[in-house]
Amino acid sequence: MTTAEGARRRPWARRAATQPGPLPWLDPGADLTDRERALLTAVHAIVGDDGLRAGELGRATYRRDASFLNADPLGVALPWTVEQTASVVRACRDHGVPFTPRAAGTGLAGGATPTGEGGVRPLVVSVARMDRLRELDVANRRAWVEPGLVNARLGRAAAVHGLRFAPDPASQIAATLGGNVSTNAGGIHVLTYGVMSQHVLAVELMDADGVVHLLDGTAPELGGIDLRGVSVGGEGTLGIVTGACLRLLPAPPSVGTMLAGFPSLRQAAAMVGDLVTSDRLPDAVELMDARAVGLVEGYANAGYPVDAAAVLLVEFEGLPHAVAAGIDTADALAEANGATSVTRAKDAAERARIWKGRKAVAGAIAKRAPDFFLQDVVVPRSRLGDMLDAVVAIGERERLEILNVVHAGDGNLHPFVLFDRREEGVLDRVFAAGHDIVTTALDLDGTVTGEHGVGIEKRDFLAQVFSEDDLAVQRAVRVAVEPSGLANPDKVLPSTVGCLEARMVPEGAWV
Amino acid sequence: MTATTGELTTAEQVREAIMDARRDVTPMEIRSGGSVLDRLPAGDHPVLSVAGMTGVVAHAAEDLTVTVRAGTSLTELSQVLADAGQECPIEPTGGAGSTVGGRIATALAGPRQLGAGRVRDWLLRVRFVTGAGQIATAGGVTVKDVTGYDLCRLMTGSWGTLGVITEVTLKLRPLARHRAWYATDPPRHDLDALLYRPSASITTRDRTHVLLEGHPDDAVEQAALAELVPADPPTLPVTARASVDPARLVGLVEACETLGLAWAAQDGVGVCHLDGDGDQLDAARTAAEKRGGSLLVLDPDLRRPAFGSRGSFPLDERVRRTLDPDAVLAPWRWTR
Repeated sequence: MTTAEGARRRPWARRAATQPGPLPWLDPGADLTDRERALLTAVHAIVGDDGLRAGELGRATYRRDASFLNADPLGVALPWTVEQTASVVRACRDHGVPFTPRAAGTGLAGGATPTGEGGVRPLVVSVARMDRLRELDVANRRAWVEPGLVNARLGRAAAVHGLRFAPDPASQIAATLGGNVSTNAGGIHVLTYGVMSQHVLAVELMDADGVVHLLDGTAPELGGIDLRGVSVGGEGTLGIVTGACLRLLPAPPSVGTMLAGFPSLRQAAAMVGDLVTSDRLPDAVELMDARAVGLVEGYANAGYPVDAAAVLLVEFEGLPHAVAAGIDTADALAEANGATSVTRAKDAAERARIWKGRKAVAGAIAKRAPDFFLQDVVVPRSRLGDMLDAVVAIGERERLEILNVVHAGDGNLHPFVLFDRREEGVLDRVFAAGHDIVTTALDLDGTVTGEHGVGIEKRDFLAQVFSEDDLAVQRAVRVAVEPSGLANPDKVLPSTVGCLEARMVPEGAWV
Repeated sequence: MTATTGELTTAEQVREAIMDARRDVTPMEIRSGGSVLDRLPAGDHPVLSVAGMTGVVAHAAEDLTVTVRAGTSLTELSQVLADAGQECPIEPTGGAGSTVGGRIATALAGPRQLGAGRVRDWLLRVRFVTGAGQIATAGGVTVKDVTGYDLCRLMTGSWGTLGVITEVTLKLRPLARHRAWYATDPPRHDLDALLYRPSASITTRDRTHVLLEGHPDDAVEQAALAELVPADPPTLPVTARASVDPARLVGLVEACETLGLAWAAQDGVGVCHLDGDGDQLDAARTAAEKRGGSLLVLDPDLRRPAFGSRGSFPLDERVRRTLDPDAVLAPWRWTR
């Protein structure tokens, strides 16, 4: 569309005629309002050719995160520095255009999907290029990181010094620490080490004026309120995380790993209950159902018992006697709960093989079905058996293959709903199953997301979790911290006006 | 302190008391057991007390959670949990009458913070009444929950300024099979690095005290590694507590020693408990602030501000004004 055509269609855009001609980094004929064109021009002046993607192809790869929710952004800014980021954010403010912070885009709830209220296209601000490990303080066991640093890279840097970074989401080889902070990520070792928030000492949060606020710090009792804690899990709606100080832990001197197979999901769930009420809490308790085991065995050959209805992977870390006693207890509990097989890892190689099965789930699924929809719900641990039965029933009702992979010690289920998007009407069933899984968790005193975040996907469930007053307080805190409303609008809290702009449909071949 | 709002037992009564205070434009002191508040400079204000809101609402042992009303004493809670072989490592910090709500609201480090982590990490759900009079809940009873903004963290350590905490759900863990204090002299600040995740390492002038929890055989081996001998727990000074980056704790301790203060330093945590007179504490406060830290005076007789000078935190102010628009919840908290 030429400028003249655009002006005819939108009389208020007529002023575009006085603007410079087509910009070299835009598709010829890009359909932009004056305001959008002015912002892109300003951002281009800040980050240069290399730091702005505004063409159709450049935008296409930033339409969504790892969820199915997608929307077309105005453009994508890829600043190299905090200063450039601040200038980009200020340009957004000056032109009244919202922005969607983003890093690796491994989120599963649409938190980085560039939606705006009323159809306004936000600018994606990617922090992926700010990926330095600013400081690794071995003596004091902490690290200052930039938001684009990949989780596993921090882990590797820490391991050299006998340290570890505890939060280990499954996506850790790609997910960034800025994203982990913004979603309050979890992982396999949450049971004793806690979620991301417990490992964040300080956050540098950039507001919509480009001002960076240092929230909390390395001293323990600074006084003042814990806005660090609110910014963790803020999903980009409170500003952009431009840095963080993270806590590192000493690597455990001893690790014990056990794999047990059970003849029923109920028995495996009962074992989980016995484990968490024993006198030594395991550091990881993962459950996989028979479907997940069958898929993984065919793919990774990890030695899982394929005849079991469920397997539990139990791990203890720490000092050697405690670990040995923990594994002995787990062994006895497995037998008491009717385990049909128990394998104890004798060495690091066996341990790695056992974990290989758990970590190969996504890869194995990719060989089985072209698409999957990954849910994330939590129930109190005592309701785990009920919840697992319900997921099975939902799968049968919707005629869908659902695998259960569960952070069982936390009561955190990740049902993978497998499908092929080419099948007529399958998406309705997939979303119906997802919806039923969430409402079942709520009925069991659980909650709608344990570690993936609210984003867009779970946003409208919040009204079922919280009262109007609860949400009013949440909204008030959001507005107090980020009054402009430009930071990742439309996310986390149910909007009081308007409807969802993003399409709930997986994209076909759009690039 | 003058008149009180009377015995409150429900969140609705707390709300009414707050709405009355808003109407009368009368700011209140927020009190629970008083173990910390009674050691701050007294003001002449009405008191909103949650001390009457007591009792364990639900102990879900198999879920490792407990829901408890804010005024419940920590001693009572510990007993209930210990009967089930469990604990929540939120501890009294000196002073009598520590309650669950008070400890969440003040969030001061207990002796075991080194191993157990911060107070804020044990809170799963909080029910509170904002200064605007809204009765609200944040978080949930599951151990993992990222549904909405994490206002549990916001309320922890808010010292009663944003809202009045009425009920909390806490995360639990099994009681350790073995638990014993050890000591070594001369003192050394490096035991946190030498040992594997000790529960506490507290250094005084003469020695370093270490708390080991876990398997008894591990404790024996850890004790041998650092030449520790069984000992009584340390007695912590109570007049004041300084907080600095743990990396700067030794420097602060040396300054306090020079000033002639009695001290006990929580290695790896960054808290230093102090006894001394007003002038000594003024100097210690300067030493802490010079190191980017702070000092809290917990003796009103010394006639010193409890909190030292704080910088300006514009976001803090905005959040406080939003949740407490008429400034009725101890608005003076950090300025006295």
